Amino acid sequence: MGPLSVNGIISENTNLFLAFIIGIGFGFVLEQSGFSSSRKLAGVFYGYDTVVLKVFFTAAITGMLGLLFFSLFGWVDLNLIYVNPTYLTSAIVGGIIMGAGFIMGGYCPGTSFCGASIGKIDALVFIGGLFIGVFIFGIGYNLWSGMYIAKFLGSPKISETLGLTDGIFALILIIVALAMFWVAEWAEKKFPREAY
Amino acid sequence: MKSRTWLAIFIIPMGIIIAAVPQNKTKPYKLTADELLSEANTRTQYVTPDVVADMIVKKDPSLRLIDVRSQDEFEKFSLPGAINIPASDLLSDQYTDILNQDIKMNIFYSNGTVAANEVWMITRQLGYTNNFVLEGGLNYWFDTILNPQKPSSTSPDEEFAKYDFHKSAGMALGGGGAIQATDNQASSSAKPVVKQAGKKKKAAGGC
Repeated sequence: MGPLSVNGIISENTNLFLAFIIGIGFGFVLEQSGFSSSRKLAGVFYGYDTVVLKVFFTAAITGMLGLLFFSLFGWVDLNLIYVNPTYLTSAIVGGIIMGAGFIMGGYCPGTSFCGASIGKIDALVFIGGLFIGVFIFGIGYNLWSGMYIAKFLGSPKISETLGLTDGIFALILIIVALAMFWVAEWAEKKFPREAY
Repeated sequence: MKSRTWLAIFIIPMGIIIAAVPQNKTKPYKLTADELLSEANTRTQYVTPDVVADMIVKKDPSLRLIDVRSQDEFEKFSLPGAINIPASDLLSDQYTDILNQDIKMNIFYSNGTVAANEVWMITRQLGYTNNFVLEGGLNYWFDTILNPQKPSSTSPDEEFAKYDFHKSAGMALGGGGAIQATDNQASSSAKPVVKQAGKKKKAAGGC
């Protein structure tokens, strides 16, 4: 709860409690939208169900527009928003590992816990694998720490790198997202599956 | 299909609006009036001329002196290694990287302390840290470092040590002290003075 806990309006414990409530709400919505099904999630890679892509892109462009408008009205100072720092090598390698795990296991970390909460065995196995991966990463940290922190770029924004204003980049991203939704729905018709 | 059409109808105009309006680049103030008042009252922004002189003599790489007077005045006289950021150009984009950073110790100075303090307050309000003010400004710098007054013979030893330090620093920085450096006491105590300055630096070396 950003400004509230940082400025000491609510205590650290209240902050954690609110996070708990919000987390339950998020998990509930995720489960109700069918994100606890590994077949549905993996469908995005085979084209028969692209709801994951549509949900995440809709969330991204909604959040993006919200932040830009809040900034325009002076409600939010975008310079204070935390931007995840970019380590190029580990972003690419991690993306490949994460993507491969997503295709094979049918879950991403958040949705695996969502599936486990309603008793899905494959989700439990996925979580087991997740912890094995974390363990291997921790044990072998010295082996790949060089790669892990290689090519540090700071916290660049794509709009800055391309030399566009945030607003124009937002418009481009919206158009790209809508075009992708169109392609995704075309793919759903092209590669249909009866039951999954 | 239909939901996507609705999404497009709603979200594309929003995107066009946000692309068309200029970006909000106003920088809101970070401190409340109370917080700023208490910071100004504790006087933590001040760095004494002794500390600054010591850092200049030692070529401390963390020191960055910033002259906030006009360019004319800066060209007539400036402290060694100082850069010029006229107070009127303070908010120009080219200086943001200099003022908003956490590596160097920026010390503002002007003739007195008023202009330097104004600049310090503005940077503080913008949320920048590591900015300080030279205590007493250039006037006090001249009095203490470049033209130190010899303390009376009944003064405690510390006063003499201070005087010697000011004198040797003044010599190093090209002040009037260089001319009168004939006194036996000053030359014999020149070495201990440098040692004492070293101690001082360790205590002050917060950055």
